[in-house]
Amino acid sequence: MTVLILTSEEDVTADMVVAKLHEAGTPMMRLDPADLPGKAVLSAEYAHGDFDGHLSVNGHVLSMGGLRSVWVRRPGEPAAHAPHPSPWLAAETRQALYGMLHSAATRWMNHPHNAEQARLKPWQLRVAHLSGFAVPPTVFTTAPRLAQQFAEEYRDVVVKSASGPPPGDPGLALPTTLIGPDADFSAVAAGPALLQRYIPKRADIRLTCVGTRLFAARKTAEPGQVDGRYGETGHAWEAVPVPERVGRSVRDYVAFAGLAYAAFDFAEDEEGIWWFLECNQGGQFGFVELETGQPISEAVALWLSQRKADRRVPARHW
Amino acid sequence: MRPFTLNYAFPRGLTNVVTPYSFDAARQLNVLPDGRPAVSDPDLLLAVGTTTSTAGSQTHFDD
Repeated sequence: MTVLILTSEEDVTADMVVAKLHEAGTPMMRLDPADLPGKAVLSAEYAHGDFDGHLSVNGHVLSMGGLRSVWVRRPGEPAAHAPHPSPWLAAETRQALYGMLHSAATRWMNHPHNAEQARLKPWQLRVAHLSGFAVPPTVFTTAPRLAQQFAEEYRDVVVKSASGPPPGDPGLALPTTLIGPDADFSAVAAGPALLQRYIPKRADIRLTCVGTRLFAARKTAEPGQVDGRYGETGHAWEAVPVPERVGRSVRDYVAFAGLAYAAFDFAEDEEGIWWFLECNQGGQFGFVELETGQPISEAVALWLSQRKADRRVPARHW
Repeated sequence: MRPFTLNYAFPRGLTNVVTPYSFDAARQLNVLPDGRPAVSDPDLLLAVGTTTSTAGSQTHFDD
């Protein structure tokens, strides 16, 4: 039985899991959907009252009957590396690849349907509330007047993107930024704005959830630092225990969202409360493991290798 | 009108990282020039920065 990893070739965080799978002798295939068609070859057959399918790339072959699990890590856009890529070719290739994979009886980290929903920031906040996390007051709005009122009520608020920086070359960075009520909110009418009450923090927390295993890491923040991803603090990530209450909320969240993997970001305030900021269903873990030594890649490899169904993640039945 | 959120964007600067490893199709992971897996050198991976939470932001918003 084989583990399928959908990611790009340059993804060295995936390498960490590949190395663990090799050590355990677990068969695996690494495929970038961008290489299909071309370097990778696909064939799915619905004939004789049955279904079967095959994938091959770089001399490795995978039968859908032997597929144990799929890790959707950092897959490229289907057909992106084709000689003549186009939106139509990408759509056709997506149909062929993901249609075939969905037809197989396999485990997903994470299931694409659940992943798509889990990426929606407003939905994340709703699930976080239901799971018992402390969630900062937040507004998504295209109404300048409401944005102004929110900023006046909470004084120190941050603005951040829900979907990340806009694609393009040269690239843009779009860090979470502190703004005040004096900002000109008229441009809120030109695009939804995400405003959130600023949480003065003494540390950033990254909690990685793999199946039922939780790995929390803490990085001391500089006074006034807003976005922990930007700016040097002189501090390193260090492993910390997961408070029992937070652990319960994390488990409730991933069960509700149907996620086998999730990376949570929290802001730890002066009283030690972990405020939920977001949950990245495909969040990075390489930097955390490299700095803390937490065995996250081993946990991912183990989850992907397991034979049994993960009862915590809702199974999809025909 | 420029969307409000984009008022706080700025150029990322040079983003083309030259990585000291290359993909080995047979082993299905990246290797150093001496053949060792790139993941066997954690200090190098940290220095290159390709495992950080902003490394994939241009193509994926799962940081």
